[in-house]
This record gives sequence, C-alpha cells and structure tokens, in this order.
Amino acid sequence: MLCRGTILTGLAATTGILVYRSAKGGNCSLGSSCSNCSKSDSCDLPEASLFRQTVWQLDPTKCIQCGRCAENCVMTPSAVKVVHVYAMCGYCDLCGGYLKPDTKNISTAAENQLCPTSAIKRKFVEDPFYQYTIDEPLCIGCAKCVKGCDAFGNGSLQLQVRHDRCVNCNECAIARDCPADAFSRVPANKPYLLQGIEAKPEEKV
Amino acid sequence: MLLALVAFMVKDFFFSKPENRNPYEFELNNVRTGDTSMAAYTETGQIKTSLEEIHGLATDAAGKIYVSGKDGVEIFDASGKTENKFKMNGIAQGITVLENGDILLGMLDHIEIWNKNGKQVSKWTSFGSEAVITSIAAKGNDVFVADAGQKVVYRCDLKGHLINKIGLKDPATGVPGFVIPSPYFDLGISKDVNLWVVNPGRHSFEKYAFDGTMLTSWAKASMAMDGFCGCCNPSNFAYLNDSLFVTSEKGIERVKIYNTDGTFLAVVATPDQFEEGTTGLDLAVDNQNRILVLDPAKKLVRIFEPK
Repeated sequence: MLCRGTILTGLAATTGILVYRSAKGGNCSLGSSCSNCSKSDSCDLPEASLFRQTVWQLDPTKCIQCGRCAENCVMTPSAVKVVHVYAMCGYCDLCGGYLKPDTKNISTAAENQLCPTSAIKRKFVEDPFYQYTIDEPLCIGCAKCVKGCDAFGNGSLQLQVRHDRCVNCNECAIARDCPADAFSRVPANKPYLLQGIEAKPEEKV
Repeated sequence: MLLALVAFMVKDFFFSKPENRNPYEFELNNVRTGDTSMAAYTETGQIKTSLEEIHGLATDAAGKIYVSGKDGVEIFDASGKTENKFKMNGIAQGITVLENGDILLGMLDHIEIWNKNGKQVSKWTSFGSEAVITSIAAKGNDVFVADAGQKVVYRCDLKGHLINKIGLKDPATGVPGFVIPSPYFDLGISKDVNLWVVNPGRHSFEKYAFDGTMLTSWAKASMAMDGFCGCCNPSNFAYLNDSLFVTSEKGIERVKIYNTDGTFLAVVATPDQFEEGTTGLDLAVDNQNRILVLDPAKKLVRIFEPK
C-alpha cells in the first residue's frame, strides 16, 4: 500500500539518480569537469582530449587595432574577423564603427562607410536606434571599425580569430608580427575571448 | 637600353624600401586630440578637493564653489580656500544652491536639503528603486530633478511634492522621449525661466516650459569638433553669460561653448588636458564668468578663463 512516506522516499531516490547522472557528464565516471580533474592530462576520453587542445585567439583588451591581421594571415581573406557583442552596443545612429569621422551626412552611402569592404550592414530598428550586423565573408579583419567603435562608442566591435576559417598553424603568422602581443593559444573548448560577455556555447570549436 | 633596364630592375629590387605603412591602419590621433589651437580658453587655476570621490559642482551668487561627492560636501571661496566641509552618507551626484543658501543634493534615488553648516534640513522620499538622479536645478519654489534611471525629469516643490513630469515620450505633442544609455543626464534653468534638458542619446538639447510643454530643441551629432558623438553626450552643461551653453563630453573628453541655437562657438578644453577615460566632467560658471570644470580623475576643480 502506498503511503506518503513511500512516495517521498521514491521521489528522493529518483532525484538523486538524475542529479548524479547529470553531474557525471559525457562518458566520465568521475563526475567532475576536466578543468578540475587531476587526470585530465592523461585521460583518454574525447572530452579530455578536446580540453588539452589549444587554438589561436587574440585578446581584445591587448589589441591596438594596427590593421596587420588583415594582411599577415595565411588565409585570404584573413581568419581574423570582427565580432559584434550586441550586449555592449548602444545601437547609435552616429556609429563610430560604421561611419568615417569626417562624415557630413549619416547615411549608408559607400563614401561614408569606414569599412573598406562594406562588411557592416546598418538596419533601422526604431527611433533613434540602428542595428549593425557583420557580413562575415566580406570582413577582412582590418580593425578599422573596432578602432572607431573604441574611440567613439562602447567597444562592442571586437576582433577574434574565427575557428571555422583558422587552420591553426603551429606558428601563427599574425601572432608572430603582432606588435601588441595580443595572440596566445587558448583551450579549444573555450576558443573565444570576447569582452563584455562570455563566449556562447555555439561559438565553441 | 638593355643595360639601363637591368640597372633599373637591380635598383628597384635591392635598393627600394618597402612601404612600411599598413594600408588598413586607421589614424585617429588627430580626431582624439583635436586642434589645440582652437582652444579660446586657458587654465588659470586648480582647486584640490579632499573628498574620496567627487561628482557634483555648483556655484552661488556670491561666487562660492560647492563640490559634492562620496560622503561629503566641500565649500570653497572664489580663491579656492576651503570655507566649510561637512559629512553626509552616500554619493551626491547632483548639487545646486537655493536662493536662501541651502544646498540641494541629488542622492541616488532621493533629494536631501542641507544648510551650509552641515545640518540636514529635510530628506525627500525616494523616487523609486530604479531612480538614478544625476542632476538638479531650482528656481523659486520649483525643483527639477533629472532621473536617468527612469528617463524623466520631475518637477517638485521645495517640500518634495511632485507637480508634474517632463519629457515622457508623447508623439502627439512631439516629445521624443529621453534616450539615456548610461547615467549622464543634465539639466538647467535658463535666463528666460525655462528648462533645458540634455537628451544625450540623441546628442540634443531640449527646451521645456515648466509645465512640460516642449518649446524647441537643437541637436549636433557629429564626430567633428563642432558636434557631439558617442554614447551619452554632452554629459554635462552650464550657462555662460546666462545664455551660452558650456558643454562637456566623455569618451573624447572636451569642453566647448555653443550658442542657444546650437551654433558652435569655441573650445574651452581639449582632450589632451584630461586623463583618457575621464567621465563626469561637471560644469559651473561663477560670478566672474570663469568656467569651472570638475575633474573626478584628478579630484580637482579646474578653472578656465579666456586667453
């Protein structure tokens, strides 16, 4: 016969099993993440292997927007692209990352655009806000928009190595010539160093 | 002929220096620093403050200078000598002096009135948990409170009773609504007894009657020296000669003068005179028409006069 005590005991046991299973994660039987695990250096599981891999990334806080990422990468166009951190964007009409500083009229005319390849698209949202999106295949990673956004705005445009393009050279040609020493190798399971937000799960390699 | 061609190729190959300049380099130094020769004012003095943080600046009819900040208010005479200093709790972002000499302090979410001797006269009730008071101005029995958090100006009497709200978006009357991405939202009462409010997200000034009727506005959105750019500019303003606007900006730190119709007139201070990243350059003009600039990074009141 079912009584209240039996039901509660059953529920507690079921919850405990579910919590234990979710804490384990993947095929690991230890139930802890690789970053906290003392065996991650020698572990054969796929998640530990991914944890040990590293990829190139640039730190936006060190980047001086010199423009060399556009030219020095072995890929054409460069594997370095601008990423827009929308959470930091002011959605300004007068966008320092989109418009040249000497622009007389705020418009989408090519002569007003700072980007040499028109890789930033401007779209009206509601008065007085505009949204700026990156047409990534057009972006060459020159960082002009990043510098403009830093100088006049909130710094929501940031350069990052895009890992769908980067071939992960042993010696990165951009890192070798970077005057700000902004490049380093980062864990492959946390491949982005965006400022202002955490890298989103879908941006993982 | 062939020899000449070979000589040219050898020279071109071995002796011509490659262009070091990156074609994608974006030179912004000139934009940031501006043309320093445009400055029509020069810095003639500095007053060192002793508060832990400084946020608000005001003057009175006698030329005394009031600085508010974290947990205190400091009062100086026109020469910069400390006359009084008193403690209170919290950060006073806005400060103004009433005709009777009492001091109005805009705390985070409420107003406090203190006398010059450091005794609290009254404390108003809170404008709400989302209130971020950035500026206050008073004329007669009317007190105007700029609330950046709720994007509105409150008109109250001296006891703190709300009379009306100003600047709420209303397409029927053409009031565009305040756009305030960060807490920089200043206001002031003009000589013709109307209220001017900065709409920082639109880089504009808006003029209102005390009952909230919008009278006029002007905007100057530009990255050049004669305009305002970036997020929330101008951050502060004050009146010069009762009619001209003295404005300050963050991002590109500079102080400028505009006519009432928005015509750019002169530069007071250029970005190279401030530490990069300085914000909250509150402004006041004293009875000698000296422009006073609060420099929170250096904890100074900086005095500018015409060259």
